[in-house]
Amino acid sequence: MESAISKSRDASSFSQQNLPSENIEAAPIYIPPKERFLEFRRQPSAQRASVLAFAGALMFLGLWEAGHYLTPASARKFFPSIGEVGSALYVLFAERNFLQDVSVSCWRIFISFMAASAIAVPIGILMGSFGNIRALFNPTLTAWRYLPAASFIPLLLVWFGPTDQAKIALLFIGVIFFLISLVLDNTTAIQKEFVEAGLTMGASRSTILTGIVVPAALPAIFDSMRNMIAVSWTYLVIAEIVGAQDGIGAVMMRAGRFLNVDVIMAGIVTIGALGLLTDLIFRGICRALFPWNVERRS
Amino acid sequence: MNIVAKDFTPVTTVPPLKASRISKEYLGGTFKALDDVSFELQENQITAFVGPSGCGKTTMLRIIAGLEYPTRGRLEVFGKNVQGPGPDRGMIFQAYTSFPWLTAMQNVEYGMKILKVPAAERRERTMNFLKLVHLEKFADTYPRSLSGGMKQRVALARTLAQNPAIILMDEPFGALDAQVRWEMQELMIELIEREKKTVVAITHDIEEAIYLADRIIFFSRQPGRIKADIPLTFKGGRRIKQKEELLEMPGYAELERQLFAMMREEIK
Repeated sequence: MESAISKSRDASSFSQQNLPSENIEAAPIYIPPKERFLEFRRQPSAQRASVLAFAGALMFLGLWEAGHYLTPASARKFFPSIGEVGSALYVLFAERNFLQDVSVSCWRIFISFMAASAIAVPIGILMGSFGNIRALFNPTLTAWRYLPAASFIPLLLVWFGPTDQAKIALLFIGVIFFLISLVLDNTTAIQKEFVEAGLTMGASRSTILTGIVVPAALPAIFDSMRNMIAVSWTYLVIAEIVGAQDGIGAVMMRAGRFLNVDVIMAGIVTIGALGLLTDLIFRGICRALFPWNVERRS
Repeated sequence: MNIVAKDFTPVTTVPPLKASRISKEYLGGTFKALDDVSFELQENQITAFVGPSGCGKTTMLRIIAGLEYPTRGRLEVFGKNVQGPGPDRGMIFQAYTSFPWLTAMQNVEYGMKILKVPAAERRERTMNFLKLVHLEKFADTYPRSLSGGMKQRVALARTLAQNPAIILMDEPFGALDAQVRWEMQELMIELIEREKKTVVAITHDIEEAIYLADRIIFFSRQPGRIKADIPLTFKGGRRIKQKEELLEMPGYAELERQLFAMMREEIK
């Protein structure tokens, strides 16, 4: 009895099944079940994903082209084909100095969005960090969020006339209130122990704010900004109705008056492409600024 | 002549922490998380707070940290009344608090930066503590690429590098799997022994409490009171580094049985 106990104390006394090292026969090859197109949560390879993305785009273009040919011939000019929109796009850039309009629109988006972010990000962070600041501003800002930006057009026209300022102001109003509430959420969502760790390390409030809260919330804030700049692009056409002179929206409105549907569609395509480009730039900036936040690929 | 008499008076040591008559009430006094709790910590001792969930042990630890305030009572660190958090009481949380935007090295440095430790000294201490927690090879790694145990080691190094008088741990190994947890416990014993720290650790794991602690304070619940204050005398004033050795010691099984019985009493 005694010896059994002292023996079991020694781990080597447990019977250990040693696998034969000289296995002559190779283990059978495992044949996995056949993979179907719809597998829950299975991610395609990068190559497969790009093929699928291309196929998706082709499906859209096919629908467009089909739509064109299914439209009765008499109304077909109101639903131009891809080729017609393409050539309208070519004419716009080559003969009508469309690049100038595109850059004016981009500039308006850029300036209005920078101004909105410069105000919304600090206010949102302060509201998310301090309950009293939040209580001070949030009820008023919530009301503002429900006001449609387009309803400010008459007011902006009275104040600024058909100027650049009016358009930039509209784009600014269109995003700032939503951006504030998103930044507020991003800030409150940081792990509360980060702030508590700062407190127990003896950090001052300003150190916790700038050294802990801001870096912790910033990647999410940039994500919110990326989403809100998309909203900014959607407001562009509305903004450029205000005394339409230049910009993508103005060109589209003018084309509408002459029922040049191909030009309108060319404008839509241009905005879509620019939106996609903005998104890619933002993602690039995020990856460069927050290398520590890059998703690990397994 | 008076001088001679003075020499004979025993040296009264001021405890690193003295909690006197701490109560914490919620909902206007209808719920008492802590009810008139008093204790003193001994210098260089590891004290474990044990008890059923909802017994107020976390509230007590957060009150010591200054992250929550008691409704009544007084808290003294080395005889000085404390209000609010401070770097004299370092805290290690169950959630990973190594900052993801800083590398392991920058994380360890961060606490000393707050304390305005000169750069040269800071760097030297940082490398020292990274070595102590076996992370010197991961100095430039972001927490995202570190395992849970490694993240917790970064937090441990960051706290120790600040040289706090008292270290507070809120279930620091609770999120780790069994084997990593065991490694961390051994590392912690080694570091605490080396750095000579007074520690309070919360744990719901009775075995962990017996292994780590020199003393166990057992909390009862509703209202939160000290049910038992148990010095772990069976260890003979030593810290046992090897768990196998601890399991063989006379008194271990009996203490574990008693603690389980107390826990069962509370759950009923």
